[in-house]
Amino acid sequence: MHRRIYLRPRVAVVVLMGWLGVFAVWVLLAGQAKQQGFSNASEAALRRPTGSPQLVSVEPLPVADGQMCQWVPASASTTLVAALRQEQPAAGAASSVDADRAPLRIIRDTYPTYSAIAVDTNTDEVYLQDENLFGYKVFNRLDNTPPNASFTEPKRMVGGIKTKLEFNCGLYVDPKTGDVYSVNNDTVDTMVVFPRDARGNVLPKRELKTPHRTWGIAVDEEAQELFLTVEEPPQVVVYHKMAQGDDQPIRVLEGNRTELEDAHGIAIDTKNNWMFVSNHGSVNDGGIAGSGRFEPPSITVYPLRASGNTPPLRVIEGPNTRLNWPAAMSLDQENGELYLANDAEDSILVFGTTDSGNVAPRRVIKGPKTGIKNPTGIFLDSKNDEVWVSNMGNHTATVYRRTASGNVAPLRTIRSAPLGKRALAIGNPGAVGYDSKREEILVPN
Amino acid sequence: MAHPQIAVFARLAKENSAPTRLIAGQKTLLARTMHDIRYDAIHDEFLVNNPFAQAVLVFRGGADGEEAPIRVIQGPRTQLGFSGRLDVDAVNNEIFVPGGDRILVYPREGNGDVAPLRVIRGPDTLLRSAGALAVDPVNHLLVVGTNRGFARGEGNGSLLIYNRTDNGNVKPRGVIEGPQSGIIRINQLQVYPPKGWIVASQPGVGYEQEPEGAFIGVWSVNDNGDVPPRWVIGGPESTLKKPRGVALNPKNKEIIVADMRLNAVLTYYFPEIF
Repeated sequence: MHRRIYLRPRVAVVVLMGWLGVFAVWVLLAGQAKQQGFSNASEAALRRPTGSPQLVSVEPLPVADGQMCQWVPASASTTLVAALRQEQPAAGAASSVDADRAPLRIIRDTYPTYSAIAVDTNTDEVYLQDENLFGYKVFNRLDNTPPNASFTEPKRMVGGIKTKLEFNCGLYVDPKTGDVYSVNNDTVDTMVVFPRDARGNVLPKRELKTPHRTWGIAVDEEAQELFLTVEEPPQVVVYHKMAQGDDQPIRVLEGNRTELEDAHGIAIDTKNNWMFVSNHGSVNDGGIAGSGRFEPPSITVYPLRASGNTPPLRVIEGPNTRLNWPAAMSLDQENGELYLANDAEDSILVFGTTDSGNVAPRRVIKGPKTGIKNPTGIFLDSKNDEVWVSNMGNHTATVYRRTASGNVAPLRTIRSAPLGKRALAIGNPGAVGYDSKREEILVPN
Repeated sequence: MAHPQIAVFARLAKENSAPTRLIAGQKTLLARTMHDIRYDAIHDEFLVNNPFAQAVLVFRGGADGEEAPIRVIQGPRTQLGFSGRLDVDAVNNEIFVPGGDRILVYPREGNGDVAPLRVIRGPDTLLRSAGALAVDPVNHLLVVGTNRGFARGEGNGSLLIYNRTDNGNVKPRGVIEGPQSGIIRINQLQVYPPKGWIVASQPGVGYEQEPEGAFIGVWSVNDNGDVPPRWVIGGPESTLKKPRGVALNPKNKEIIVADMRLNAVLTYYFPEIF
């Protein structure tokens, strides 16, 4: 038979207090022991117990990324709208608050990104147009970056505010004098010319005011004429080669019959008197509102001295051509071939100079072995029987045998960033967007 | 620049961080001079212009690679000219496009040769070189930035404030301009409806590579006249040289800035305005 023991409430309180007292004594004794331990440690660290708080260590706070609280996006809800109307500021501020502060983060590519390429076969030097850091770099033609090297150091660099180099995409090296011609695509609207031995942040030896959005360059050395493409409104403007300042073009090819459509690369054939222009395809009729349209990418071919609203002699266009944002071109007059940097297909296409219509390229250099990524510049070195490519997508210039085809490894690679580093290819960012769902930043060029 | 593209980065991306997505190639219908990009969080879409082809392109939010837009506004009825900027009102389902002397408003789901729903245009509007805008669906306002001031001596730009549903030859309800405003020209701009802020990029004279007086400025939608910005980001700490793009991330109290001279995107913690 079990007997239940019942405690009166008062007795229960007394018992509970007793147990709490025992527990408190235990905590104090244990604490004393730990305190003694801390005292020993403090004395060992040249601190003595003082009975007051002491600084014993410093732990940095974790880096804050700015996240504070959830924002409720606006919606059509009347209630939400009313809530969002709170704290409307009064009109007129007496003065500005200087909120100058360092950015939390910067998205940028710290390595050169090569938009165009040229070779001086007299000096065996390769010129690479750096559109990311605004300048150009000069390398030896036989430089070849080893796989384990971070980059190859250029032998000369030109860049800085004095040079006016900015969004520099077209590049030409005078085969006789070594003068370097740089086409600036935006902002400064000026083509700048430097002597072969220019170095650092130097003034150009010559400047020529050019139309906004000038892109490609070719030179007829015999006629001493300089050809430039303009993206929009699409044109080919031709100047005397030594034009400078506000000198005006001697010829302009433009108009809807030309089929120039977001013009990019240009190459000239002085043997047959032809001019080749590559087009991305976005176009309108001379700025008339509502006339905009998308045309297929193309290569349009004109008489070398065409001007005005002259239609092309022939057009390379259609799905068999594989054109995908066709960029710079280089011409092999001797073999009658046209080399094209096919930006968005990561390929080099080779056409015959008499090709027309929906024609397949004679040769295609493309594939993972080639190292080609977003090629926008190309140069045919007839003297050494090589074709050079500047790759916007991976900080490199790659070179192949002139007759290379398929998925072939380059003969050499000049690399300006660690192997495999993807170029950000941010260029003239005029806007930015924020995708709040994916927490991503959208950056259009 | 040599290569058009839309690069997408993680919010916490830093120097040399690889993009998470790249949108580029013939099928995208992109060209250079995309001077605006807007994300519509309600419908998970983003919008950009192709000014050469006089088109507005709408992509799905997760677009990647050589992906075509899901809608294109283009054609004779659109009245679209050379315009590199836009904004989307995801609440009232409208797209706003500035076009020099006019503002064109389209249905958000418009596709093809779509006529504008409304056109703000005429001498009373004070619209000249209207190059940027942002719509405030909460306070029912439209803020327009003008791009005069591209070259020295051509007069300075301004911020013009209209009612969201204005149409025709209407006077702006507010005009912010003058030497105190610091506005030489306005590029991409945003509004923050809960507090009534206008956040605008002011890149200075266009033809100068590193112009003086470039900044990100914050004004109130209630400001009018020669009013200085409430806050200014711009100075040695900011490292900004020529800011042309601006976006807001209210959740993290951040202002995101695109700087064309730096070829970079910079993120600032800016709790003051949120």
